[in-house]
Amino acid sequence: MRVKEWLLERFPIDYQKFVEINEKIFIKEPIPYHMKKWFYAMGATPLIIFAFQVLTGILLTFYYIPSPEMAYESVRHITEDVRFGFLIRGIHRWGSNLMVIALFLHMVRVIFTRAYRPPRELNWIIGVLLLLTTLTFAFTGYSLIYNQLSYWATTVGTNFFKAVPLVGNTVLNFLRGGENVNPNTLTRFFTIHIGLLPPVMTFLIFLHILVLRLHGVAEIEGHEGEGHYPFYPSHFYKVIIATLFLVTVMSALSVVFPPGIGEPATPDQTPIHIKPEWYFYPVYRILKLLPLSVGIYSLVAGLIILTFWPFIDELFKQKMPKVKMNYVFGTLFVGVILILTVWEAMVF
Amino acid sequence: MKAKNDVLTGQKILIGLFSFLLVATLVIVAGVEMKKSISEAPEIEITAESKQCISCHDQKGIAPGVVEQWKMSKHAVQGIGCLECHSAQKDDWDAFTCPESDVLVARHPTPKDCAECHEQQVQEFAESKHAHQFWVLKNADRAIFEMPIATRHGCEQCHNIGNIWPDKSVGECDACHTKHSFSKAVARQPETCGECHMGPDHPHIEIYTESKHGNIFKAKGKDWDMNYSTADNQNIPIEAPVCTTCHMDGNETQPMTHNVSARLAWESQAPWSYRTVWNEEKLGSWEKKRERMEAICKSCHAPDFVEMYMLTADLVNLQYNEIRRFFVKWTKRLTEDGVIDRIQADGKFLSNPVLNGWDEEPEKLMYYAWHHEGRRFRSGALMMGADFTQWHGIWEMQEDMIELMKFAAEAGYKEAQVWVDTNDPTKFVPYAIYDVPGNAWGINTRANLTPYLYKKFPNYWEEVRKNVKAAFERGLLSEKQWRYWEKRYQNKEYYLGTKFNTDDVFDIYSKRNDIDLEAMRKQVVEFEPPAKMFYMPKGKRISGWKFNRSRTNGRH
Repeated sequence: MRVKEWLLERFPIDYQKFVEINEKIFIKEPIPYHMKKWFYAMGATPLIIFAFQVLTGILLTFYYIPSPEMAYESVRHITEDVRFGFLIRGIHRWGSNLMVIALFLHMVRVIFTRAYRPPRELNWIIGVLLLLTTLTFAFTGYSLIYNQLSYWATTVGTNFFKAVPLVGNTVLNFLRGGENVNPNTLTRFFTIHIGLLPPVMTFLIFLHILVLRLHGVAEIEGHEGEGHYPFYPSHFYKVIIATLFLVTVMSALSVVFPPGIGEPATPDQTPIHIKPEWYFYPVYRILKLLPLSVGIYSLVAGLIILTFWPFIDELFKQKMPKVKMNYVFGTLFVGVILILTVWEAMVF
Repeated sequence: MKAKNDVLTGQKILIGLFSFLLVATLVIVAGVEMKKSISEAPEIEITAESKQCISCHDQKGIAPGVVEQWKMSKHAVQGIGCLECHSAQKDDWDAFTCPESDVLVARHPTPKDCAECHEQQVQEFAESKHAHQFWVLKNADRAIFEMPIATRHGCEQCHNIGNIWPDKSVGECDACHTKHSFSKAVARQPETCGECHMGPDHPHIEIYTESKHGNIFKAKGKDWDMNYSTADNQNIPIEAPVCTTCHMDGNETQPMTHNVSARLAWESQAPWSYRTVWNEEKLGSWEKKRERMEAICKSCHAPDFVEMYMLTADLVNLQYNEIRRFFVKWTKRLTEDGVIDRIQADGKFLSNPVLNGWDEEPEKLMYYAWHHEGRRFRSGALMMGADFTQWHGIWEMQEDMIELMKFAAEAGYKEAQVWVDTNDPTKFVPYAIYDVPGNAWGINTRANLTPYLYKKFPNYWEEVRKNVKAAFERGLLSEKQWRYWEKRYQNKEYYLGTKFNTDDVFDIYSKRNDIDLEAMRKQVVEFEPPAKMFYMPKGKRISGWKFNRSRTNGRH
């Protein structure tokens, strides 16, 4: 107890009140009864993976050098020379992949259970922003490898901006720091990846959880009032178990499918097959299928529908109370992602 | 309550199903993509016997490099070890028992062994001129001039490509597919062809290097993956062709072939350029072969360019024949009149009567004008080697012609003396002429205003037309080519550029040229260093001193 007293002398806070608040906010956070089931209890997965991304990301910056001459070489060094470097890089890389997948799963559950229904619409919108931030994270991170695939994926990825009316070219120039993907692009993307996005992400996660806490976790529609139980210990240990499971999965994947280093980027040599990372395949496929401007407008329209879906769903609910539009939307969402991803993966 | 639970179950099934689909599919896609980012060393699995060969060769240090080369080969990846090619039967001509084991080993895998798997390629090769035995069929007697030991590491090293092995198979696959890695990239490297196709008599690699094709390859080729497959009518995946691209590889319309004769329309290495009849029953006429080559050209070039380029090259070949005819006429005459003698033994002439021998000046001149300069003239024209058509080709042939006429004049031939003595510029074309209005590169409005023959003979094109027409009627040009020639002839003022007046632009350069010449005159021509020359035989300065330019320039 001496330590506690020593600390309380230095931090003269009302300990009793602190314990109360802690209990109220964390220990006894009321969790709806349906979350006893694993099926509904995995919403924290993207957060857990994000924590791993931060940890492994910091370790990677110990060796990574964001210059065109050294970027590829430092990634090679991490992968081939540094002890456990391949594992740290593997977990970071697989973490990014799994985070995107986890977000999709989370969204599927939220859509099908209509957890975004009033008054939680804004938290859905924050969620969409989190998805976009995650994709930006993944995109900028991939470009840092600076091998032939990632260099040209960056070129293709940033090219999309060209088709955005009015501001497209300015944004493109700002992102690339020039006409083409060049040394400026690498440093910019590095700064965005490790400097700008982490606080943005942290803030959005904070908002997401704050709103969640203020409303409480949404109960299953039609099963409201079935009771609550405290966060600790049951749900707390669920999160710990999920964390351990994810470490195991990411390590195993990193060992079985370790990320390679490929060929160094050669800006004057366009490879025959250019592709972005797989989570952009749906977007890439749509842009390949449709004329560029049509494709861009469809994507923007899709994004608007996705962002404001809770409101749209509510409108449908009022006009056609019997039709479960969230099922239609959810099925379309998953179907489009799966079909376009597999399609793009199978063609050159 | 039951209804509520049904809804819940339905919801769970949907979420579960979609979650499973998403996880399974996306993890697989992510895994596949991740795998693509890795370049793994392939696993090698071979038979126990081959493993024994390899470990012994490694341990005892007997050509361990061979093993390392083999490990890099596609053979290794596909589990083709040592004995798949090196196995032997007891009475095989090259069988020997491995001193470290009881295994019977074939010392020389031959095309017959390669054909076990690559039957089509071996067959195509055996039907190509690469497999032609002309050098032992005809000119074996030259081994008296270049004694046998010199031929071992000389002629034979290259001409072994058409080897007839004791097992009766023909060819030498590893001449290009270097053992034991058998890399396609190495086989495609122009220098591989250049191991033999080089030097004064057939400088194909030098011509290629001079060409735009070779230049692009030199600049960018290091980034090209030359291991590509052309087996299934795909686009040519490289920006500029290497030797194999035109002569062997496939494109959108042409299948790959190991018959290098399948696309050649001339025998332009021969003493006379004649339309090839090689393996016509299988490969078709020369026109068919030319079609194949043009189909390759047209992967990158416009049809009109290809048509004009090839027609011009063909006319160069025909022109060569006429120059050759002049050499043959005079050498035959000198021989018949006993001025020069042919090599003979036991009452028989040696070797090829066209070659005649090597010990007398006219014979040598005729030989070089064919075997070295004449081939450079023709190959340069066929393969975009301007300098070889020009300076290493026609220039040296013309010089040889002058020497030949001087020889004849000195031997007392009045006709030759007249030729030597005349000041008429037309003396340099004492043979039939071929030409075509313009060139493949564009319209040059000035180039065709200057040639002497155009000015001197207003009926120049009518005369040339007679020759071209006769060549067509003789089957040396195709009907398509003849029509193309006619098209240019009918509109020759356009193609020659003479209908366009560009005098004003030309005058600018003309004036600049005058300034240049004036500068040269003032700076050096009119300049005489003041000190006396030390060289004064018999106390007198010699004026009009002439240096004899070496005539062996470019000859080996």
